[in-house]
Amino acid sequence: MQPSRARLFKEYKEVQREKVADPDIQLVCDDTNIFKWTALIKGPSETPYEGGVFQLAFAVPEPYPLQPPQVRFLTKIFHPNVHFKTGEICLDILKNAWSPAWTLQSVCRAIIALMAHPEPDSPLNCDSGNLLRSGDVRGFNSMARMYTRLAAMPKKG
Amino acid sequence: MAMISDSITNASATAAPSARDFGKKKRTNRSAKLKQSKLGLRREQWLSQVAMINKGDKEEVDSNRKTGSEKPNQRIPPAENLDGQRREEEDNSGTHRHESFIESLSNSPNSILSGMNSIPNFSCSSSSGSGGSCSGNITEEEDADDDDCLDDWEAIADALAADDDKHEKENPPEPCEEHESVKHSASPRDSISGSGVAIRDAKPDCSRTTSRKQKSNQAWRPDDKLRPQGLPNLEKQRSFPVMNMHFSSVAVPSSCPICYEDLDLTDSNFLPCPCGFRLCLFCHKTICDGDGRCPGCRKPYERNTIKVEASFQGGGLTIIRLARSSSMFCRYGYRICLLAPENYVLCSSMSMTLLRLKHVVVVVMVYVEWCVST
Repeated sequence: MQPSRARLFKEYKEVQREKVADPDIQLVCDDTNIFKWTALIKGPSETPYEGGVFQLAFAVPEPYPLQPPQVRFLTKIFHPNVHFKTGEICLDILKNAWSPAWTLQSVCRAIIALMAHPEPDSPLNCDSGNLLRSGDVRGFNSMARMYTRLAAMPKKG
Repeated sequence: MAMISDSITNASATAAPSARDFGKKKRTNRSAKLKQSKLGLRREQWLSQVAMINKGDKEEVDSNRKTGSEKPNQRIPPAENLDGQRREEEDNSGTHRHESFIESLSNSPNSILSGMNSIPNFSCSSSSGSGGSCSGNITEEEDADDDDCLDDWEAIADALAADDDKHEKENPPEPCEEHESVKHSASPRDSISGSGVAIRDAKPDCSRTTSRKQKSNQAWRPDDKLRPQGLPNLEKQRSFPVMNMHFSSVAVPSSCPICYEDLDLTDSNFLPCPCGFRLCLFCHKTICDGDGRCPGCRKPYERNTIKVEASFQGGGLTIIRLARSSSMFCRYGYRICLLAPENYVLCSSMSMTLLRLKHVVVVVMVYVEWCVST
């Protein structure tokens, strides 16, 4: 068996065991393909994403864990480091700062941390980045909250 | 403050000699003043601080007054007159004091000479009233005391002492000032009888209280305000065993964090990186074939690790001895690598000091063993 597959199975078991441990992250594996995962993460509190549930798609490469998984947002999110159309995430640990010691679970945690602490200096979403860089926190917050309402919250009625 | 009283005394001493006999002490005081005037340059600097550190100044004046009441070796000025003035001054800042002093100088014709005499003195006492001078004088004694306390520490964490000494020298004044404020709060203002003690006298007293305090209870509680900042904080101390665990066999994880396979005996004695991150030999090889960075600290694995291994294997008798217990070979082989100077740079943070020293010890021991075996 490939090492990546073995490792993913182990991670799957770990996730099943620790499901209760982190209520903000729900990590599920595709029924037929262990290299495809989806995750549901809750928007961190005291951010404009609070109350929203965001879906992430993981595509695990063959050499995992030596190479990082490819992660993108399936839910629309207004965030400086997330591409608004494709959901691509600009996060160092998903690129050059990846370490094989990370797991899919810890990647989810890192993404939640990124939601709470955006990095407007390396933006994928320029509108969002510019709002923050010009100091318009209020404008950014209201935009982000609006998209959270529109895309990440269950429709009312 | 003290100087005002001095000048007043000078002015009034001739006109209305005090009933109390302090003539002798007056003279000794004057010679002391002469000595003080030599420190003129430093005072100039301190003077500039006076205005800024008015609060500390006040406290010090209070403690100084207390000293005066304990050992009245200074001339005591006519009480009512001075007290009135002092009350007035109490609310004023240091600069105001200067002004009033000059006023009193010019008001009394008698005081011109003595005023000249006491101008350096004036700057002295007012400047020594500033926190800066106090700390300056006390530094050495304070340091010595702290070192005493650190001796206990050295028994526990020998390595930390050097760093701490540095810290103490960087910020010695805090503890002293804290002591002073405590003392100040302990002595009510009203009980202090007026005396024009040169503030300088307060300093040894201050340091004495400091040392007394430190001797009475050698250890500080972690939340103790009087605890010198130079001492390492307890969280850091507690973190040492945890850090050491990386290097002891106790903390070896049961499975490789990369492939999640169980670590066998060889793997669990395999320590490829000074950060303490362990992994199985198989994953280590895969990583070294790739970017070659440690998954734990993301720093590149040292190439000389492999070199040392190779040189060991080429070392005649050594191979046979060490190859028999391959696990030992791994551990020792890699620990000897820690002699490489780069690793010391990696361990430059203060919390790693003990670790680093331990390493040296470990490495030296291993080296001796290796020599014996060859």
